[in-house]
Amino acid sequence: MSVRIKVKNAETGATVEMELEVENTVDEVIESAATFWSKDMGAYVLRKGKKVLKGSGSLKDAGIRADDVLELIPDPEGG
Amino acid sequence: MMEEPLRVGSFDEDVFDRSRRIGWLDLDSIADADVMVVGAGALGNEVCKDLALSGFRKITVVDMDHVVGSNLNRCLFFSAEDAGRGAKKAEVVAQGISRISRSATPLARVCRIEEVPASVFEQQDVIMGCLDNIRARIHTNSHSYAAGKPYVDGAMEGFIGKAFVSLPPEGACLQCGMNRTHAKVAEKRFSCTGKDVVFHEPRLAAEITTTSIVSAVMVREVLKIVSGRRDMCLSNGFFYDGQRNVAEEFEIPRDPSCSVHVWPG
Repeated sequence: MSVRIKVKNAETGATVEMELEVENTVDEVIESAATFWSKDMGAYVLRKGKKVLKGSGSLKDAGIRADDVLELIPDPEGG
Repeated sequence: MMEEPLRVGSFDEDVFDRSRRIGWLDLDSIADADVMVVGAGALGNEVCKDLALSGFRKITVVDMDHVVGSNLNRCLFFSAEDAGRGAKKAEVVAQGISRISRSATPLARVCRIEEVPASVFEQQDVIMGCLDNIRARIHTNSHSYAAGKPYVDGAMEGFIGKAFVSLPPEGACLQCGMNRTHAKVAEKRFSCTGKDVVFHEPRLAAEITTTSIVSAVMVREVLKIVSGRRDMCLSNGFFYDGQRNVAEEFEIPRDPSCSVHVWPG
């Protein structure tokens, strides 16, 4: 089953619509979105509302539904 | 026992008078707490400054590295002289703590966090991660959790910052929120050197204002933990973007399959 969702780039406010299978993983969504926006190599997380989604989990596991808006946020590394 | 008589001006002689006006701060526990700060770079400098001024005395600072000139735009305790002589960061920060708090007894450990024995983790009340790489964070996070000690992590890049609070045995740890992108970054850092020395290429952007905000949030969480007010702690993350003027809480759910939580015992 496929779902159409929006992913928002937290750093710019831009959004991209993605058509995905519910079996797709959060890791795959992160990597696709990061590549689409030509993000620098770095760590990112995807969140729905306040909650950070588990990378290896599927969209189905994460309870993602059509028209959900997920946000891609950088996970900084520096100290 | 009789109370000390009130004297004119006594409120202004007490270093912690203004802190005492915050009812829930437990200054005795703060003075008695053992805190280990892992990493003595920009975050480590700011965190140690805030800890010392807040009344923490027993602060252990861990860092293997030495001061260089490019540290000086964001590290309170470092000087050009320190950079010139290649002074050890942990030692310079420990000396800086002593300068701003006469009652502090800081301890510098000039080594990698991987060389710090598990028993040292067990002796702490709180461990603070001021690190600059994922591998060291994973190590510090897992060893803190295994010791059953709260771990407060901070990180930043440019105007983006993050703080995270782990309160074992409940809740998530830092690693619960990591995914394949973290693994790739950790692997890249490792393969850059072929040994356990981190080499950042390209260098990460860093400036003092984001450092100050993240470190302040970290120390405030430690004040809550040590004062017995875990109920007020972040649950469990704080995200800051200084370019978009965003500061908000986020939550990393506990991942039952996270290797930190499936360790035997």
